[in-house]
Amino acid sequence: MLLQKSFKQIRWKSLVQPWQNVDWWLFLLPIGLTILGGVMIRSVELNQGWTDWRQHWITGVVGLVMALAIARWRYDQLLRWRWIIYGITNLSLLAVMFFGREELGAQRWIPIFGFNLQPSEFAKLGIIITIAALLSERPASTIPVFLKTLGVTAVPWILIFLEPNLGTSLVFGAITMGMLYWGNANPGWLILMLSPFLSAILFNIFLPAWFIWVVVVGIIAWRSLPWYRVGAFITVVTNLISGALGHFLWGLLKDYQKQRLTMFLNPDQDPLGGGYHLIQSRIAIGAGGLWGRGLHQGTQTQLNFIPEQHTDFIFAAVGEELGFVGCFLVLLAFWLICLRLVIIAQNARDNFGSLIAIGVLSMVVFQTVVNIGMTIGLSPVTGIPLPWISYGRSALLMNFLAIGLVQSVANFRQRLSFRD
Amino acid sequence: MGSRSRPLHSHRSRRLSVAGDRVRRALSISKAAPSPLRLMLVWGALVASAGGLVLNLFRLQVVQAPELQQKARDQQMVYLRPFVPRRQIIDRTGVVLALDRPVYTLFAHPKLFKKSKEEIAAKLAPILNWPVDTLIKKFGEGESGIRIQNSLSENIGDRITSLRIDGLELIQHQQRFYPQQDLTADVVGYVNDDQKGQAGIELSQQNLLERRAKDVRLRRAGDGSFLPDDVPSGFLNMDALQLQLTIDNRLQRAGLNALRQQIKQFNAKRGAVIVMDARDGSLLSLVTAPSYDPNLYYKYPVERFKNWAITDLYEPGSTFKPINVAIALEDGAIKSNSMFYDEGQIIIAGWPIQNYDFSTSGGRGSISVTDIIKFSSNVGMVHIVQQIKPAAYYRWLKRLGMGELTGIDLPSESPGQFKDRDTFINSSVERATAAFGQGFSLTPIQLAQLHSALANGGKIVTPHVIRGLFDADGQLYWQPNLPAPRTIFSRANTQAVLSMMETVVTDGTGKSAQIPGYRIGGKTGTAQKANPNGGYLENAKITSFVGIFPLNSPRYVVVAVVDEPQGGDAFGSTVAAPIVKAVIETLIVLEKVAPSSKVTSPSPSSSPELETEETP
Repeated sequence: MLLQKSFKQIRWKSLVQPWQNVDWWLFLLPIGLTILGGVMIRSVELNQGWTDWRQHWITGVVGLVMALAIARWRYDQLLRWRWIIYGITNLSLLAVMFFGREELGAQRWIPIFGFNLQPSEFAKLGIIITIAALLSERPASTIPVFLKTLGVTAVPWILIFLEPNLGTSLVFGAITMGMLYWGNANPGWLILMLSPFLSAILFNIFLPAWFIWVVVVGIIAWRSLPWYRVGAFITVVTNLISGALGHFLWGLLKDYQKQRLTMFLNPDQDPLGGGYHLIQSRIAIGAGGLWGRGLHQGTQTQLNFIPEQHTDFIFAAVGEELGFVGCFLVLLAFWLICLRLVIIAQNARDNFGSLIAIGVLSMVVFQTVVNIGMTIGLSPVTGIPLPWISYGRSALLMNFLAIGLVQSVANFRQRLSFRD
Repeated sequence: MGSRSRPLHSHRSRRLSVAGDRVRRALSISKAAPSPLRLMLVWGALVASAGGLVLNLFRLQVVQAPELQQKARDQQMVYLRPFVPRRQIIDRTGVVLALDRPVYTLFAHPKLFKKSKEEIAAKLAPILNWPVDTLIKKFGEGESGIRIQNSLSENIGDRITSLRIDGLELIQHQQRFYPQQDLTADVVGYVNDDQKGQAGIELSQQNLLERRAKDVRLRRAGDGSFLPDDVPSGFLNMDALQLQLTIDNRLQRAGLNALRQQIKQFNAKRGAVIVMDARDGSLLSLVTAPSYDPNLYYKYPVERFKNWAITDLYEPGSTFKPINVAIALEDGAIKSNSMFYDEGQIIIAGWPIQNYDFSTSGGRGSISVTDIIKFSSNVGMVHIVQQIKPAAYYRWLKRLGMGELTGIDLPSESPGQFKDRDTFINSSVERATAAFGQGFSLTPIQLAQLHSALANGGKIVTPHVIRGLFDADGQLYWQPNLPAPRTIFSRANTQAVLSMMETVVTDGTGKSAQIPGYRIGGKTGTAQKANPNGGYLENAKITSFVGIFPLNSPRYVVVAVVDEPQGGDAFGSTVAAPIVKAVIETLIVLEKVAPSSKVTSPSPSSSPELETEETP
C-alpha cells in the first residue's frame, strides 16, 4: 500500500518532470480567462443560436497542449530559426495580400484546410522572436542596432498596415517599443521615434503645446543622439514639418479608420454610426453596476445592442453581466499574468528569453489596455481583441503559443550549467 | 544613463563559454536584473494602466451606474400604441352604418423624381381628376413633402401605386365612413379627424366602439426588432365584434322622407320621428330633420349635431291627455265609462281655459272620457284631472318620470321641466294646464316612453338604440344592461285608454292616420310654444302625433313632432299624423303585420273590439 502510493508519487513526479520549472500561475490564469471567454461568448450568442464558444474552448485546449509542448522544448533553439521565422511571417502576410479573404473592407484571412487563419496574429509572435534574437546579440543601445531593429520590424508592419489592419499594426508598434526599451535602447530615442506623431496631434489641437514639444524634443535629441548637432536639427525640423506630415499621414488612413480613431473623443456626434459601438458599450458596462446583472441576464448583451460583441466588445458583456466585481477580477487576472511575465523576464537565463517575455508582456498589456479602454470609451475603436477572452481562433492560439514560449523561458531558466 | 551599464552578451558566446570566469560571467548575466529604474518604469506603467482602468470602471459601474441603467432601459423599452380601427356600427338588419376604411394621403417629393414633373403630372392628373397644369404648379411648391390630396380611396391609392413613380408617397390611415350619410346621423353621430366621437353613439359609446388596444411595452433588440416575449396574448387577432343598433335603416328612410315632405309643405323649422318598440324600449327609428352628413360634418352648423328629439324640451300638449286619463283610471278617480260635462270654456283661478274648437263647436255638454280623448277636449280633461287628489296626481306624474331623464344611451339628454311639488299641489291652474299637456315640458323621446307604457300594459321601459356587441357570426357578445321596467298602470286600464285612442283615429282628430284594415290608436297634439321670456309665443306652435300600433297586440309607438309649421291649417292632425301613417305603412310591410279581420267590411261607428267581445 505504502509502496504503491510512493510509486504513484514517483510516477506523478516523473510525469511532471519536464515542466518542473514552469510558472503554473501563467498556465492557470490564461486557462481561467479562456474558460470565462467561452462562457461570455456563449452568453452573447445565446439569442443568435451560434455556438462559437465551443470553438473557443476547443481552440483553447489545442493551444494549451501546444503551449505545454513548447514549454518543454528549449526556446533557444529558435535562435537558429529566427530568419526562417521572419521569412515565414512576411511570406504569410504577403499570401494574405494575394489569396486573402476580404471582410469588413480588409484582407485578413487566408483559408487553409477549412480554417480561416489570420497570419497577422501569428506575425506578432514572429516579430517578438525576431526582435528578441536581434537584440540578444547586440543591445539596442547603439543607433545602428536601433535602426536595424526598426527596419526589420518595418517589413511585416507595413504589410499588416496595408491589409489594412490598424489594430494589429499598433500592437506591432507596442511590441517593438517595449522590446527596444528592455533591450537597452535610450528612452530618449523612443520618445524621438514617437515625437512626429505627437507633434502632428499637438499641432492640430493646441499650437503652443506643439511649440513647447518641439523644443523639448530638440533637447532630448541633443542629449541622447551621438551626432547630436545634426540629430537635433533633423529632429526639430521633422517635428516642425510634422503638422503637414500629420496631415499627409492622416490622408493615408481609410475613412473608417479615421472615424474610429477620433470617434471616441465624442461618440455622440454620430450615435447611430461610428459612435454607436462606443455609446452602447459604455451603457452596457455601466448598466452592470457593482455586481452585474447576472450571467445571461444582461439586457444590452442579450438584446444584441452591441454588434460583434463576441469578438472585440466581449468585455462589455463581462461588464454588464458580471459587474464591477467581475471586471475587477478579470483585470486582476491580467495584472497577475503581467506580473509573472515581468518576473520571468527578470529571471530569464539569457537576454533572448528575457526579451521574449517582455515582448509577450508588451503585447498583452497593450491589447488589454486598449481593448478595455475602447469598451469604456477611453481609446479609439481599433479592432484589437482582448487576449484569451475575445473570440478569434488565430488570436487565441497565438496567445497560448506565446505563453508556451514564455513558459519555456521559465522552464529552462536555471539549467544552463548542467545541461550544456 | 545607468541602464547602459547592463551588460548584454550574445547567446552564442555564452553557450561556448566553458572557462570558470566565463561561466561565472554567464551565470551573473542570467541572474542580473535590469537596471532598477527601467524595471521601476515597467512596474509603474503596469500599475498606472491597471489603476486607470479600474478607476474608470468604478466611475462607470458604480458612480454612473443608475444613470446608465436608465439609459439602457430607455432604449430597450418601447411604448407601442397599435392603431386599431373602431368597431363597425350596423343596424338591426346588418346594414353598415359606420365603418373604418383605409384612405390615403398623397405626398410628392419632387427631389426624388426620376422623370420630369410634366411627365409625372400627365400620368397622375387623370387619376386625381386634376388639371395637369395645377399639378405641375403644385410640384413646384417645394423640394419634398408636398401634400397633394387627402382622403384618397383605396382604389385611387392602388392606381397611383401601380404607376410606380419614384417620389410619390401614399400614407395610409383610417377614416370613419358613414355609408348611410344623413340617414342615421342623429343616432350614430360622427368622429372628428382624431377619430374621437363627437355626437351620437360615436360619442356616448366610445368604450364599445374603441377596440381595447392596450398600450404595449415591448422590449426592443439592438437591430430595432421587437421581442415577442412581452406581447400580450391575443394581441394580433383583433376581435371582429360590431355594434348593432336597434335602428332599422328602412324605417329611418321612410320616416325621414315623410318628415321632410311635411317640413317642406308646412315650411316648418324642424321635425323628429321616433319609432319605439314598446315591449323593451328599443328604438327602431329616430330621425330628425334637417340633419347632416357625418362624412362631411365640417360643412354643417354646430346645432345640427345635437339630436333635438333628446336634447330639446317642448310642451307636449294634447298628446299627453291619454297619459292623464290612464293616471285617473289607475288612481280610481274615474271609470272608463264616467261622463263629464264639457262647457267648452271654463275659468280656473282667473285664467280662461277653452277647447281648441270652442269658437266653432262651443260646449259639447255631457260627454264620455272616450269622447274627451276623441275630440281632444281641454275642458273635459281639466274635469277628469280635478277628480284626482292634487298630491296623488303629482305623485303619479313623478312616478312616470316627469322632470327626469329617460336614461337613453345617446348623449346630451335633457331632463324634462316640471313644477316643484308645492307649486303644483297648491295651484289649481297648474294642474288644469297639466291636464292638457301644457305648463311642463319633456323631450319627444320621453313622450314616446310614456306612450310605450300605454302600449305595453303599463310598464316604463328605458329607450335605447343599442342592441349589443355581436361577433362576425352574429353571436351575442355583450348586451346593454338596462334597468328593469317599472310597472305603473294595469293592463286593463291601458287597454281602456288604447280603445279611446283608437276612436281618435277612427272618428276623431287623427283620421288622417287611418290605414284601412289596421287598428291604430293615436292622439294629436298642437301645443303653443313657451316663450323663453314667459308666456307663450304668438304664432309658434309645435304639432305632434302619437300612434300606437297594432292595437290587436300593441307593440309600436310612433311619435312625430314638427316644430313651428306655418299656415292656418297646421295642426297635429294635418302635419304630424300623415308622417305617422307613412311610418306605420312601412312598418306593416317590414314587420309583415297582418291586417285585422275587419278589413273587408269596415264599420265606421262602433269599435270592432267590442263587437268581437260580444260575439263569442
